[in-house]
Amino acid sequence: MTAPASVPAPAATARAASSTATPPPRPAGRWKPWLAFGVIALITAVTLSPQLGIAFSLDAIARNWQNGAAKIVQLLQPDWSFFPRTIPPMLETLEMAVIATAVSTLIALPLSLWAARLTNPNWVGRGVVRVILNIVRAVPELLYAAILVAMVGVGALPGILALVLFNVGIIVKLVSEAIESNDAGPLEAGRAAGGTQAQINRAAALPDVWPSFVNQVLYVLELNVRSGTVLGLVGAGGIGLLIDAVRTYFRYDQLSVIILEVLVVVILLELVSSAIRKRLV
Amino acid sequence: MSAIAPPRPSRTRSRVVASIVCVIVVVAFWSVDINWARLGNLPSEIVRYLWLMFSAPDWSKLGEALYQTWRSVEMAWVGTVFGIIVATPLSFLAAKGFGPPPVQAALRGVFAVIRAVPEIIIAIIILSVTGLTPLTGALALAVGGIGTLGKWGFESIDGVPRGPIEAVRAAGGSTSQVLRWGVWPSASPEFLSFWLYRFEINVRASAVLGLIGVGGIGDMLTSYTQYRQWGVVGMLLIVVVVVTIALDAISGAIRRRITEGAPVHDLER
Repeated sequence: MTAPASVPAPAATARAASSTATPPPRPAGRWKPWLAFGVIALITAVTLSPQLGIAFSLDAIARNWQNGAAKIVQLLQPDWSFFPRTIPPMLETLEMAVIATAVSTLIALPLSLWAARLTNPNWVGRGVVRVILNIVRAVPELLYAAILVAMVGVGALPGILALVLFNVGIIVKLVSEAIESNDAGPLEAGRAAGGTQAQINRAAALPDVWPSFVNQVLYVLELNVRSGTVLGLVGAGGIGLLIDAVRTYFRYDQLSVIILEVLVVVILLELVSSAIRKRLV
Repeated sequence: MSAIAPPRPSRTRSRVVASIVCVIVVVAFWSVDINWARLGNLPSEIVRYLWLMFSAPDWSKLGEALYQTWRSVEMAWVGTVFGIIVATPLSFLAAKGFGPPPVQAALRGVFAVIRAVPEIIIAIIILSVTGLTPLTGALALAVGGIGTLGKWGFESIDGVPRGPIEAVRAAGGSTSQVLRWGVWPSASPEFLSFWLYRFEINVRASAVLGLIGVGGIGDMLTSYTQYRQWGVVGMLLIVVVVVTIALDAISGAIRRRITEGAPVHDLER
């Protein structure tokens, strides 16, 4: 494209100056983007084919269009009398998000120190924590919630547990990466002064990662409110229970009240947390 | 005059903030409707269920699980491709200096609203048109993708150095030529890595969409959880973890190759 990967060495420039000016050769490998494009188009064709793929058919959409249009008209006429009933479950979602954030913060702080090289020189312990958390992070929180509901019963408890599980994975990953990118100087000073690893972490590492830790906690709180709104779809408490109820009765006029409420809460929270972030930096 | 130590920095503000946070947390704990007595035997219960799931995973359903995983990944792929096709032109329009300012503001608002709605709710709306099919899932992921890809796209275009753009304009290039030769060369690595990252997000989200019945691995997982066939559930979790980590690893390797550039072979020519 603009710059070839290899810039001609000074010898080449000298050569160009001595002989007549010939344009440099075109960079090799211009076919590569086209190959990538071809592979992508091929995979897309396979995924859209009726036998192997998801059977993309326009006529089903055309047939259902009437039905869908009616639903969307309903969606555009929110049933505001439904609003008072949405408040208690929405509060439950917020409570779940706050509790899950608080609990996972307490669990994640020591684990992130445990998972970073600078604060835990022992690679065995570090590796174990990282592998377990990579596995935990690979499963979305809603699937955890579905399983936990079957284990401990319907209610806010499985929802909070699912959020905590997922949050710990995210916070530890992001914060331990922040620790790794920090300056090792203060920690070495601590070691030179004869501190134990725990003392070094407390006095030198924690003050350094504190802003990024608070940052990630805020981010996780936002995530929790957002996913806390849908956890109820599997019976794990919060406003999702109500979403599930109105969707089984196809009350799209009530669904739109809930969606608007979720929108307002999520956007307000985003504004608050970005204001806090600005003060932090 | 003897040296006087500077006054200690005031801690009032951080104390106030800390106590407000504590109050919020305590209120949340106090008001949430949970039978805390149940928490006592929770650890032993969870260990018992983990034992049921992973002591003898039931591999007889592996074939169906792989088929359903393929359907989920298809949903994620199609959703990503559709999302890219719609979001890329929109992100150019939403960037500074390309679209008219009202369009810019409106599009940025649309992206923010879409990002605030979970994909599963988008799917519930779409399924009134397309029914409970994997297509619904793919379309929901595409719509969700417009929110994130659009935002990342215009932010990255806003960050493109102005020099090449002005150069193409000065040479008399049209808007499309400005985009092709002024913006795309410096924005393309970021765009490609967003696309891959969104695919990784969609792989996770497509598993979740199965919960409302559009098919895929999430659908199978909820059914077997309801049948309480814990051996199958354990096997399904293993499949989800392995597939997700493998796809993340592949896409992460491609992303690193894109953002860090090709390894240099021929400096010594």
